[in-house]
Amino acid sequence: MFYLRGCGRWVAASFTKQQFPLVRLSSDSAAPRTPHFDVIVIGGGHAGTEAATAAARCGSRTLLLTHRVDTIGQMSCNPSFGGIGKGHLMREVDALDGLCSRICDQSGVHYKVLNRRKGPAVWGLRAQIDRKLYKQNMQKEILNTPLLTVQEGAVEDLILTEPEPEHTGKCRVSGVVLVDGSTVYAESVILTTGTFLRGMIVIGLEMHPAGRLGDQPSIGLAQTLEKLGFVVGRLKTGTPPRIAKDSINFSILNKQTPDNPSVPFSFTNETVWIKPEDQLPCYLTYTNPRVDEIVLNNLHLNSHVKETTRGPRYCPSIESKVLRFPNRLHQVWLEPEGMDSDLIYPQGLSMTLPTELQEKMITCIRGLEKAKVIQPGYGVQYDYLDPRQITPSLETHLVQRLFFAGQINGTTGYEEAAAQGVIAGINASLRVSRKPPFVVSRTEGYIGVLIDDLTTLGTSEPYRMFTSRVEFRLSLRPDNADIRLTLRGYKDAGCVSQQRYEGACWMKSSLEEGISVLKSIEFSSSKWKNLIPEVSISTSRSLPVRALDVLKYEEVDMDSLAKAVPEPLKKYTKCRELAERLKIEATYESVLFHQLQEIKGVQQDEALQLPKDIDYLTIRDVSLSHEVREKLHFSRPQTIGAASRIPGVTPAAIINLLRFVKTTQQRQAAMNESPKTDQCLRNADRLQERQL
Amino acid sequence: AVNKAEEPQNPPQLGHLAIIKPLVYLTLRLSLPDALIRLPSGSRLCTRRSSGAAAPGSGATIFALSSGQGRCGIAVIRTSGPSSGHALRILTAARDLPPARHASLRLLSDPRSGEPLDRALVLWFPGPRSFTGEDCVEFHVHGGPAVVSGVLQALGSVPGLRPAEAGEFTRRAFANGKLNLTEVEGLADLIHAETEAQRRQALRQLDGELGHLCRGWAETLTKALAHVEAYIDFGEDDNLEEGVLEQADIEVRALEVALGAHLRDARRGQRLRSGAHVVVTGPPNAGKSSLVNLLSRKPVSIVSPEPGTTRDVLETPVDLAGFPVLLSDTAGLREGVGPVEQEGVRRARESCNFLATVVASVGAQSPSDSSQRLLLVLNKSDLLSPEGPGPRPDLPPHLLLSCLTGEGLDGLLEALRKELAAVCGDPSTGSPLLTRARHQHHLQGCLDALSHYKPSKDLALAAEALRVARGHLTRLTGGGGTEEILDIIFRDFCVGK
Repeated sequence: MFYLRGCGRWVAASFTKQQFPLVRLSSDSAAPRTPHFDVIVIGGGHAGTEAATAAARCGSRTLLLTHRVDTIGQMSCNPSFGGIGKGHLMREVDALDGLCSRICDQSGVHYKVLNRRKGPAVWGLRAQIDRKLYKQNMQKEILNTPLLTVQEGAVEDLILTEPEPEHTGKCRVSGVVLVDGSTVYAESVILTTGTFLRGMIVIGLEMHPAGRLGDQPSIGLAQTLEKLGFVVGRLKTGTPPRIAKDSINFSILNKQTPDNPSVPFSFTNETVWIKPEDQLPCYLTYTNPRVDEIVLNNLHLNSHVKETTRGPRYCPSIESKVLRFPNRLHQVWLEPEGMDSDLIYPQGLSMTLPTELQEKMITCIRGLEKAKVIQPGYGVQYDYLDPRQITPSLETHLVQRLFFAGQINGTTGYEEAAAQGVIAGINASLRVSRKPPFVVSRTEGYIGVLIDDLTTLGTSEPYRMFTSRVEFRLSLRPDNADIRLTLRGYKDAGCVSQQRYEGACWMKSSLEEGISVLKSIEFSSSKWKNLIPEVSISTSRSLPVRALDVLKYEEVDMDSLAKAVPEPLKKYTKCRELAERLKIEATYESVLFHQLQEIKGVQQDEALQLPKDIDYLTIRDVSLSHEVREKLHFSRPQTIGAASRIPGVTPAAIINLLRFVKTTQQRQAAMNESPKTDQCLRNADRLQERQL
Repeated sequence: AVNKAEEPQNPPQLGHLAIIKPLVYLTLRLSLPDALIRLPSGSRLCTRRSSGAAAPGSGATIFALSSGQGRCGIAVIRTSGPSSGHALRILTAARDLPPARHASLRLLSDPRSGEPLDRALVLWFPGPRSFTGEDCVEFHVHGGPAVVSGVLQALGSVPGLRPAEAGEFTRRAFANGKLNLTEVEGLADLIHAETEAQRRQALRQLDGELGHLCRGWAETLTKALAHVEAYIDFGEDDNLEEGVLEQADIEVRALEVALGAHLRDARRGQRLRSGAHVVVTGPPNAGKSSLVNLLSRKPVSIVSPEPGTTRDVLETPVDLAGFPVLLSDTAGLREGVGPVEQEGVRRARESCNFLATVVASVGAQSPSDSSQRLLLVLNKSDLLSPEGPGPRPDLPPHLLLSCLTGEGLDGLLEALRKELAAVCGDPSTGSPLLTRARHQHHLQGCLDALSHYKPSKDLALAAEALRVARGHLTRLTGGGGTEEILDIIFRDFCVGK
């Protein structure tokens, strides 16, 4: 079923909703006006915007296709970004020059770092965001990105052609068909459809098809994917009602004020756009037994709760909280939706009760006695594709040059979506220019953990990032995301600006120099005690103590250290970020040394690539059990490391695979010596593939 | 108490041969080898880091008994990795390494106690010219389980060394290009077999009380870690119950105490590197010290015709029929003597009482045994006239022995061997010594990691300590994935927006 329609008319002029003045065909006058793009991104959510801009930054002529241009950058659920684990992802997205962190620095109304007292490895940068501002800033950024074109349109189908022989996959995507029948061609296509694949909205017993309240779902695309053989699953999520701000009695509630000073998300910003004193507060209230009562008495009116579709355990609706943890008071955070918004978002009250009962329940809560519900809460059920069907570069195994990012892969959260978006955008672009994929290992970043978990283990509930998922948590910190990813992003992906790259290089060399200087300064502990009286160092030991070890003490920072030893330490206190990062490095120094060894072990296994075209079900050269074959066949791990993380793949199977890898390498080496045989074999392979 | 009851109020009458006072009670203390475990799921080549122990190939130095299990003339113990040379220097107390690839005779001693372990041939293979391509050392030691166990434990105490995973030597050799493909074909089978053997052994041992203990510890630790992780990931946003961290802290400290006590207990046995404790007890001048000297083939105790020569408990490690044994000589049990000897008698009784309680508490561990093991030995059989009547017929089952002529020694040794085999398990099957070294290694690793748990400081660091500690325990009990932690978090707390 190949859609080899003729090169369809170019749909540039087909904007039906021109009310949005910023929309134009291309922000880059140099981009050729042909209907052929390098990369098409379908969807303008958090994954789509990052994917489109990342592909463009990598130098690809990119088209962003979305249902409605005015919903680009829409925050469909909570009015906040970041948090614990999620803040880590944002720092990594920023390190790859992604958008969301910079835009949050321009759009927040309440900045707060969570986990301040628990150690810098788990600090969670978070902000309440003004929805309107975020959308405006995002659209401004998108429409000013060179090489990026934005167009409205619903995608109905994919255009598929014959596969490239040197890659796996049964066909290759070469464009899309829009609802109006027009076509657009591209070298790579990224799907970021969010909850729109056969999306259904549920309120009470009512269900109607929609990707988001008021938006049409994508049904044709879902059918195409299913027909292609993708394994589809179903997930659910929900959002709370919105409450009129002036109907809430804040005076009797606990007030939470933002941090002073505000900590920006982006490495490129020293501060955020708004002063702490101008920021908005949040308020805290609690549910009570009357809320439980309303939930329990109306379960028969609540089809979303009854359904068996898996919802997130960690973002539960108030109904499931009441059912699972009865007789407790649950927190409700009242969050501002924006500077001039009249709405309040009651975080913790996601619900799918019938509309009239929602207000009844809410008015039982302290401070909300007279609350008016402006928009009811609702549940969404949607299709996702088992993420074990994609590679770590987010390309699908089945269809060449087709990439998935965001909720379509079973994740939840803006940040998780953004992180995948950047990676998909980079790889779609690298694929066009025939460069090797850009894969982040789980030893390099939260992005790597996220994608490795998804592609090797799959998920049966919406996947959210937690720091507890990350085995090298002390190494993969918010403070050092630039050292981990910016340099690679610049060299291997080309998605990072020169300026950001130079900044990261400077920081890296300064940190290295600073650490070695701190290691070189050694005094007796009693001398340190004299120099820095507040340090709780034990003077009983006679061994000399390094300045780096003194810096480990909680009560010591670079300033106090530089005061004690001005030469040569004073210069490291001039840049505040550098001084703070040196302190963090000192805190974790001893553990990081051990972690580095383990990281090397994992990387060794990850360096052993499994052949991409291996057919686990039929291959005879490897002795594997049927169960292991099926598991490998479905997940298609790319490295020995990934294979060993698949549950049920035994150590013996790994050794057999290892042996196979070595044999293949030898065979390839032999082939390179005799290119004719190589060609022969390749033809044979191609034949075999066609037969399959 | 059991012992005391057995002790005759009046020495059994041996008919007219009343001059013979041949009563030597041999008591075998049941102390199960605290060996244990190691479980298959931890033997994956690349486990999640949460499994704690370093991934193979990560530069850690590994050691293992490379020759067959059980009794043999020579046993070969190998190490591979960057700390091999260091380990060799530490065990031989030498400044310099022996010449490469030459057999050298060295005295091996325990680096902690300085106690000599064995005179052994050592071979030093600096990488890359070695079996694995890394620095390797081979120790060719005498094959008794006591010696092998001692050397393995000594190696385990060297920082940077850990017991090897199934097939790890071969895998390293393979990774370093030291094996050709045909040689590797057997590797998967080998690993499969080793993993299976370990799994069977783990299953067997995990049924025991120690396995039960380990699983309990691992559960406690997993829960404590889950609660700390919940506090990190959800503590600020959600209302976790009060005192989550405090509760975790209490549990971790309790675990530390339990582990510490267990390891100290294990170390008491380790001093002699033995699984079994044999106490010789009985009335004065029965020849207890002579028997001890006979069994240990060296003059441990002073012997004299005078009753009450031995006044204290004397312990000596011996290899009895291939089993490592701690043999204790005690003062003869009698009343109305001087204060020094009376103290000796008290200690002897205490030693037996201690045994009784220990036996009672470990009895359940041993399916084959439910009571204290006791061998009744009648010494000085050379004084029995060949033609005269034997000992009284109403005596409980007993053995006749003459320490003077050595007559009856073979029978005694055979009886001892049977008893010891019942207590320690047959050394020719399974690999209790290896699993014991591993067991000890991981419990010690767990305890060391717990000592770094300081929740009042950087909580991420504290959680890391728990992760490492849990990794060590789950290597013994299996499990250990991140999902397990998340399951506990979502079971115990109502978290999320």
